[in-house]
Amino acid sequence: MTEPAHEASGVDAALRALLADVLGLGEARAAALTEDSGLFGELPEFDSMAVATVLTEMEDRLGIVIDDDEVDGEIFETYGNLLAFSLRKVAD
Amino acid sequence: MVALSAEHQLRIDPTGAPRATVVIVPPLFEEANRTRRTLVLAMRALAADGFAAVLPDLPGQNESLVPLADVDLERWQDALVEVVATIDGPAIVASVRGGALIDHRVKAAAWWRLAPTGGASLLRTLLRARVTADRESGVTSSLESLQAAAQSEVLLLAGNALSPAMVAQLSAAEAQPVEPLRSIGVGNDGIAGTPLWLRAEPGEDAAMARAVATDIAVWSKTCGIS
Repeated sequence: MTEPAHEASGVDAALRALLADVLGLGEARAAALTEDSGLFGELPEFDSMAVATVLTEMEDRLGIVIDDDEVDGEIFETYGNLLAFSLRKVAD
Repeated sequence: MVALSAEHQLRIDPTGAPRATVVIVPPLFEEANRTRRTLVLAMRALAADGFAAVLPDLPGQNESLVPLADVDLERWQDALVEVVATIDGPAIVASVRGGALIDHRVKAAAWWRLAPTGGASLLRTLLRARVTADRESGVTSSLESLQAAAQSEVLLLAGNALSPAMVAQLSAAEAQPVEPLRSIGVGNDGIAGTPLWLRAEPGEDAAMARAVATDIAVWSKTCGIS
């Protein structure tokens, strides 16, 4: 927590690796994700099972607990939204 | 109860008498499909190295005719006990992910577990897939409401019909201690490869399959089996 920048880049890297694992994106596609990259509804691989897998893996890898009433469609709209949600949860 | 012999198994034999038999306990539910091809590649590599390799169908999974709603973790444990009991010579049980939740009652010479996971985490993912799919179709459900329903009725989670007994056992299941055991993950300090069981679309990893086979063969030697 003393180095918020490191913290943020660590969460960003963990999130990209996780999406690469779940969606089979490959390193290049995962690295190319921007804040505005669409996820659920845009990437064909991102179905309801993939959403569920991503949530459980986020809990395991980021050491957070996600309540399902915190999860709405918006979180998975873009990579930026998912990253912002993750950073908020890690900081809690 | 349907006799276990009703279930198929995939068996790959080496040329000549096997050094030992490796029984692969697959991951549970959809994770079994995502990993099957790579596990079978590992079985081929094991057979090339002198092992017999067996991948049994769990009742209610893969080609089984048993409805999934009729089975639970205890029945899968019983089924594996029977599979291993029919094997001649030493058996090495190699379990992947949720397979590690059902492998401890067999009589084996050694155990090997890849990325074992708790049942609660598998169940949570299945429940969430249902909540997400419900939301897409305008139905409101939650992990809590589904878990409450699961106490008295079969729940359909991401295509899997799970009985109250299955849900209850999954929510509490942890891999049990066995001896001798090698437990290994995936990544830098484990088997080189990717967690294919998470993959939304099926993939395969031949290099990972070879690494799995090599690691099991080394563990077999370490345990003094062959």
